[in-house]
Amino acid sequence: MSEIKAKDFAPTGDAGEEKDAAKAHFDNLKTNKPRPPKPQYAVTIAVSSRTLFNMVTERKIYEDQGLEEYVAYQRDHENEPLMPGPAFPFVKALMTVNARLRQLYPDSEELFDIVLMTNNHAQVGVRLINSINHYDLTIERFCMTGGESPTGYLEAYMTNLYLSKDSEKVSEAIEEGIAAATMFMAVKENELSDTQLRVAFDGDAVLFSDESEIIVKEGGLDTFFAHEKKFENTPLAQGPLKCFLEALGKLQRKFYAKNERLNCPIRTFLVTARSAASSGARVLKTLRSWGLEIDEALFLAGAPKGPLLQKIKPHIFFDDQMFHIEGARELGTISAHVPYGIGQKYNKGKLIESPAKKK
Amino acid sequence: MKDADRALVVAVTTRAVFDAAAGDVYGMGVAFPLLQSLQKVNERLLEKNPAESLLFDVVLIATDSQQQSSRIISSTSHYGLEVGRFCFSSREDLVETLVVNNVQLFLSTDRDEALQVSQKGVLSALLGRQEAPSESLRVMLCGDAIVRPDCDPVPASRGAAQSFSARLGEMRGRFGVSGSPLSIVLVTSSGGSKSCGVALQTLRSRGLSVDEAYCLAGAPRGPILSLLRPHFLLGDGVIDLED
Repeated sequence: MSEIKAKDFAPTGDAGEEKDAAKAHFDNLKTNKPRPPKPQYAVTIAVSSRTLFNMVTERKIYEDQGLEEYVAYQRDHENEPLMPGPAFPFVKALMTVNARLRQLYPDSEELFDIVLMTNNHAQVGVRLINSINHYDLTIERFCMTGGESPTGYLEAYMTNLYLSKDSEKVSEAIEEGIAAATMFMAVKENELSDTQLRVAFDGDAVLFSDESEIIVKEGGLDTFFAHEKKFENTPLAQGPLKCFLEALGKLQRKFYAKNERLNCPIRTFLVTARSAASSGARVLKTLRSWGLEIDEALFLAGAPKGPLLQKIKPHIFFDDQMFHIEGARELGTISAHVPYGIGQKYNKGKLIESPAKKK
Repeated sequence: MKDADRALVVAVTTRAVFDAAAGDVYGMGVAFPLLQSLQKVNERLLEKNPAESLLFDVVLIATDSQQQSSRIISSTSHYGLEVGRFCFSSREDLVETLVVNNVQLFLSTDRDEALQVSQKGVLSALLGRQEAPSESLRVMLCGDAIVRPDCDPVPASRGAAQSFSARLGEMRGRFGVSGSPLSIVLVTSSGGSKSCGVALQTLRSRGLSVDEAYCLAGAPRGPILSLLRPHFLLGDGVIDLED
């Protein structure tokens, strides 16, 4: 069984681990729920409270009336389940994949593990746990840091992907080498598959580095095309979401190994502004050189992404440019912004004056 | 002298507070940041209410014949540590000394010592290592002990643990959600989010409002514990923070 994470961590003493495992087994006998997978084998997705649930009303109370009022409000409404947030359909789809994986590989720990990672106070946590139980979500692990940024805990939980509404925390995570994105609710709701997890990625500055985007911004399109043709056989450098695509690929191959390719509950899409003819080859060759597959590669040659995504109906769409995020949202696609690379300095093609860095 | 009935008496061994060193004054030991944090909590409590009686009362216990009583007292004064009482005891008489002094929590760096005390019914915990002074006193609670079905035999110190956490909860309640000099951190090692939720609500019903909660559900404790840096950890019996 290949490991999805090649990470070392200090193991607990054998006796301690055994005792924990026995206790967990005992607990799960009582609840009939399967045991959460060990972090070093799992694909760990960390979601914040505001991506998992809709907390717009509560957020407003926090901003207008302060922390004490906000916590009091949450306590008063503790037994009212929160409404689903932008990451909710994605989480449900992950659970669907897990159910299929467990059918085929009952003893494997190569599964999705969903962790709630929030800087909310633990008293607010009671409402969050009640809501998780209400929807029967399989979220067994969480960090409620009571104010501290949860970024430090992402590594401790061996996180493969972090989703938050807070772009600062997302940027911090990316700087630490953890795939992360800021989630946005769609303006309307497209009907999404409940049997297949569908994930769409932009190419440059998401799966790949922003090296080509720099050339476009600084040299223009013609320079870009010439450059890409010249370096067609040179793989692009990795981008922040490459490892997540890799993790998805490893799980996909488990289905292929059991002859389930046609019925695979994970499907990946590349949705790029590149054009197939002039700059597409390099992208496909790069993926091949990494040993990665993508199920569908869609080259838009600069056309808007919104309409195409509306047809694809992914549970999540990753892009580094807010312009594309907005376009996707408007037509019903739940989008996640990856704050990486040169695209952050531009808005709709114009260079933004960068604000003084906060100390 | 703190109000005997209302104070939370915490005993620490001098071996944990001071490091043997040459000269008149001892070096700072593992428990040093803890004492500073306890002091800060007292200061903030008195700021809010100068007549506050629910304060930490620190008792220093010397069982180590290696450390001299005069140097202990002068070192304490040198660092400006607020100590309610000094007790010079022996290892054999330790538990009796604790009981006589109405100690509600005994802190040590010595696992055997802490276990011995705990088995006699006095709440005992191991001290955590602090690399840098922290802004608040961080008390970690092991949630598995709270949710676990009544095990046989019931740990001797469970009663003491429950009454201590109720008093601690009262103390925590003096401060608001943020900016508190005392943070209560709940960790559950096994069991899923539902059982951690039960632990949160159980503690709340006993008057202890938790600030931070971490549900590991079988994930390795080490990486999380090293980030959480509690001053000490309360659970059933004595739990190793270095786990």
